Amino acid sequence: MTSGAIAWRPAGTQRAAAPVLPRSARADALPRRRGAIRIADAVKYYGTGESRVLAVDHCSLDIAAGEVFVVIGPSGCGKTTLLNALAGFHSLDAGSIHLDGELLCGPGREKAPIGADRIVVFQNGALFPWKTVLENVAFGPAMRGTIPRTELLERARRRLAEAGLQGYEESYPGETSSGVKRRVEIVRALMNDPAVLLLDEPFRALDALTKAMMHEALIASYLRTGSTVFFITHDIEEAVFLGSRVAIMTSRPCRPKKILSIDIPYPRGRETVTSRRFRELVAEAMAAVHEEALKAYALGEKEG
Amino acid sequence: MPEPSARTQLLRATLGNVPGLGDLSSDAVDSIVLAAEEGETEDGQLVYGGTEIVTHLYVVRAGRVRLERAGSAAERTRWAGSGETFGWHTLTGIRGERATSDGATTLLRIPERALLQALASAPLRREQLRASVGGRAGAIGARAKTSSEAQASRIFRAMVDRAFQWFRSPAPYRRLLGYALFFGGWYLTVEAWALPHFDRLPGITEVVHEWLSKDPTFGLSVYTPEYYAHIGSSLRRVGIAFSLATALGVPVGLALGSSTTFREYVFPVFELLRPVPIPAWIPLAILVFSGAEAPIVFLTFLASFFATALNTFLGVRSIDPKYVLAARCLGASPWQVFRHIVVPGALPFVLTGLQISVGVAWFSIAAAEMCSGQLGLGYVINTSYTEVKFPTIVIGMLTLGILGFATSALVRLVGERLVVWRARELSMERP
Repeated sequence: MTSGAIAWRPAGTQRAAAPVLPRSARADALPRRRGAIRIADAVKYYGTGESRVLAVDHCSLDIAAGEVFVVIGPSGCGKTTLLNALAGFHSLDAGSIHLDGELLCGPGREKAPIGADRIVVFQNGALFPWKTVLENVAFGPAMRGTIPRTELLERARRRLAEAGLQGYEESYPGETSSGVKRRVEIVRALMNDPAVLLLDEPFRALDALTKAMMHEALIASYLRTGSTVFFITHDIEEAVFLGSRVAIMTSRPCRPKKILSIDIPYPRGRETVTSRRFRELVAEAMAAVHEEALKAYALGEKEG
Repeated sequence: MPEPSARTQLLRATLGNVPGLGDLSSDAVDSIVLAAEEGETEDGQLVYGGTEIVTHLYVVRAGRVRLERAGSAAERTRWAGSGETFGWHTLTGIRGERATSDGATTLLRIPERALLQALASAPLRREQLRASVGGRAGAIGARAKTSSEAQASRIFRAMVDRAFQWFRSPAPYRRLLGYALFFGGWYLTVEAWALPHFDRLPGITEVVHEWLSKDPTFGLSVYTPEYYAHIGSSLRRVGIAFSLATALGVPVGLALGSSTTFREYVFPVFELLRPVPIPAWIPLAILVFSGAEAPIVFLTFLASFFATALNTFLGVRSIDPKYVLAARCLGASPWQVFRHIVVPGALPFVLTGLQISVGVAWFSIAAAEMCSGQLGLGYVINTSYTEVKFPTIVIGMLTLGILGFATSALVRLVGERLVVWRARELSMERP
C-alpha cells in the first residue's frame, strides 16, 4: 500500500541562511584591551668577543593592544630573539620592552618575568605528552590555583568545544593529528586569558590544507578573546591573512624594514585569499621580503 | 535575524538528542536545522528503498520506521523509533536497504552536504554519529559510547589485532625455533656427538631428568623442598635489594638531573664508583655487614641502584626544555615544574632503568651468594661445583634465567601501565 513520494518541506521556520561562523561579533565589544607592547631600541648580540654577532639592531616596534602583529623575515634574522625577550626567556643587551606601560625588561631589569600574561606557542608544539588534552588545557589555571577544579575542568571542556575539539578531551596529544595538537595548544594558551599570545612559527610543520584551517581557527579564537597576538612567520600569505599589521624585518641584524597595515576586516575566510586587495598586499610584502632574502643570501655567500 | 520560533527550538531539541549531533556547537546545529526538511508518512509508505544511494540522514520525530536489508530475512529487519536515526549511506555503509513507514510517522531529513559541513569541524563526532546510526550490530539508535569507552574499545581492538598479526607473522615461530636450535645444539654437541670439550658438560636429557625427578640423584629437583627454599631466598633478597635501589635510585637520579649543584657535588663520585664490579665489593661488604644476609642484599642493591639512578638522571636530561618553558609560561612554580614535567617526563627512562636494574640484581646476587650465605641459587651453583653435582649447576643456572626473565617481564608490564600515554602513542604509530 505504498503511496507516492513524501512531501518534504523546509523544517521549522525558514530563516535567512546564516554562514557557520564562530561567535565573532563580540570582538569590538570587549570590555578592556590589554597587551600594548612597546619595544624601544632593542639590541641583542649573540656570542662574545670577536665572534659576536649582532642579531637585533636598535629595533623599535609599537604594538597596539588587541592587535594581530605579524613579524616576517628571512630565517634566522632575529625575529625569535624579540619573542624570547618578550616571553622572558632571554635578556636584551640594550633597549627596553614595556607591556601596558610597565617595564618588562630594560635598564634595571635584565629579563622579563616568565608568566601567564604572555604565553608562548612553540614552533614544534609543547603540549605535555603525558597529560591528556583536557589536563593540558586546564594546566595553567590548575597550577596557579585560581579556579576550583570542577569549574576549571568545565571551562576547559567548554573552550575545547568552542574550538571544535570536543571528543578529544581524554586523548593524549600523541594520539591526535598535528593540526589538532596546534589547536589544543592555542586553546591551552587562551585559557589563561593572556594579555599577549606569542606564536613562533606555530604552523610551520603543517601541510597547506591543515594550515589554512589553522588560520581560520586562530582568527576565530582571536576574535573570541581579543588578546594581542605577536606572530612570527616566514610565510607571506600567512602573514597577510592573519595580521592586522605585518612588519617585514631586515635580515641580520633584525630591524623593521617596512610595516604594512592590512586593511581587510576580520573575520577573514577562504574568500579573502582570492580577493584583489589580499593579492596586492601579498605582492607588496613579497617585494620587500624578496629584497631582504637576496641580501641574506649575499651575506651568507660573503661569510661562507 | 528573526527570533527562533518554538518550532525551530523543538527541532533543535530533537537533533540535540542524536548522539554525535547533539554536542556539536550551537552554530553547527543551527546550520543543520536550517538545512533540515520535514515530512509526514502514512503506514507502509516508502521512505527510500531498493538500489538508491541514501544521501540524507533521517531522524524519526514520531512513529516508527521499518528498515529491511536486501534478502529480508527476519533478523535483517530493524526498527528506528522516535528520536533515532537512519539512512545516509556514507555513514552506515549499508546499501540496498529499504525503509518503510510502520504506521504514520513524522520524519526529518538532513542532506549530507549540511552534515559534512557541520562535522568537518569535529571529526570525532563522525564516529559517534556512525555508531548511533548503527552500521554496527544492528543497534539502530543505540546510545553512543562515551568517548573514553570508545577509546578503551579502540585500544582493546588494536591489541587483539596486533596479537592476531603477531601469530600470523613469523615472529613467534622464530622465537620457538630459536629455543629449539639452542636446546637441540646442546643435545647434539654434548650427548649425540659428544664433541671434545663439550663432552665434559652435563647433557640436556641428564639435566631435565634430574630437574623433574622425584628422587634426584644429586638432591635437587622440582620435587624437593630445598629447591624452593633456594628460590625463595634469592627472590626475597632480590626483592628487598630492588625495592631499596628503586626507593633511593629514583630520587637520586631526579636530583642529579634537576639540580646543577647536586650534580656537581655527586656525579663525579657516582661515576667513580659505578664502574667498580660487584665482586670487587664483596670483601668490604662482608667486612662491614655482619651476618650472611646483609652483605648479599647490599651487593645486589648496589648494582641496581647505579642502574636506576643513572637511567633516571638520563631521563631528566632527555626532557625537551621547551616543556619546562611552556610550564613556566603557564604559571607553574619550580616545584610544580618538577612534579608535573620532570617526573612524568623522565618516567619512560626510569622504567627502562628498572628493567635493567632487575636484570642486574639477578646478575649480582649470583656473585654475592657464591661467597656467603647458606641458601640461594648462587650458593647452589657454587657448592654443586665443589661437590661435583654438575646437572644441579645447570638447574641453578636455568632457574636464575627463568626468574630473571619473569621478573623483568613483570617490571615491564607494570611500567607500561604507568606510562599509558606512551603505550597509546606507540599503538598509534603501529597501525
